[in-house]
Amino acid sequence: SQQFSALTEVLFRFLTEPKEVERFLTQLSDFATMNKISLGPLKNIVKSILLVPNGALKRNLSPEQVRADFIALGLSEEKASYFAEQWKVNAPTLTRLAVGQTLMINQLVDMEWKFGVTAGSSELEKVGSIFLQLKLVIKKGSQMENVYVELTLPQFYSFLHEMERVKTSLESFS
Amino acid sequence: QLVSALHNLTRHIVYRGLTRAEDILSLFPENFHQNLKNLLTKIILENISAWRNEAQASQISLPRLLDMDWRVDIKTSSDSISRMAVPTCLLQLKIQEDVALCGDSPVVSALTLELSKETLDTLLEGLGRIRDQLSAVANK
Repeated sequence: SQQFSALTEVLFRFLTEPKEVERFLTQLSDFATMNKISLGPLKNIVKSILLVPNGALKRNLSPEQVRADFIALGLSEEKASYFAEQWKVNAPTLTRLAVGQTLMINQLVDMEWKFGVTAGSSELEKVGSIFLQLKLVIKKGSQMENVYVELTLPQFYSFLHEMERVKTSLESFS
Repeated sequence: QLVSALHNLTRHIVYRGLTRAEDILSLFPENFHQNLKNLLTKIILENISAWRNEAQASQISLPRLLDMDWRVDIKTSSDSISRMAVPTCLLQLKIQEDVALCGDSPVVSALTLELSKETLDTLLEGLGRIRDQLSAVANK
């Protein structure tokens, strides 16, 4: 059962940091060598085990349900309970990751600004009007797009006011 | 030739920002018809601020914000998680491309963005800093 807890630890570390694929594979092969299991079958077992937490996330299962699933799959009660315990501990992180992966349309990623004064133009020798220029970085699919937009001062104050209203609205829903 | 001359006169007046009758009157040549000169000056003075505003509005510029709309949605499920309640904001900006380039047929595009709560907080922080900078400049 010590083997099992070590393996579980490796699995959950991967689930909470899904980008660390290299590290996960290294840890798996270390585990295989230490316990004198061959890597191939181990990988297959791990693949099946990983299906359970992913399915659990999709269906919002409670730790008891995860434990019941594992027992139905033939795992011993002790091991199933241990896994369910680990699941309970890691659930918030995993849920947050899943929510973070949710589709976002034209996500605003960054914003830069500058403001200045228009001094003169070809039509008017002296102007003296203040403008605000915003650069919005938008994620469209997998690419970034820069959008440049100019606002007058009244538009800026109106924009700020509207965004504060949005914040109040978002806060009342969370 | 007459129209061209009038056009040049009004352009010059708008460019220089002349607003006093004396300044405009002094532009006419010595032997210009007195009544005509006064009539022209009067008409020009009436229109001068409208012309200045129009000139300013049709300056070259980056695309300009025309209008802005928003709505707040609650995301309830997705392919990676079946139950959640995440509020998100959809912001639509109506942007008009450079007025000077478009002339009489302005090109307006609508850009819809999605902002998470975190992004909105960061955005508000940035906008707040802009507001502080603006008041610092205004108070100088």
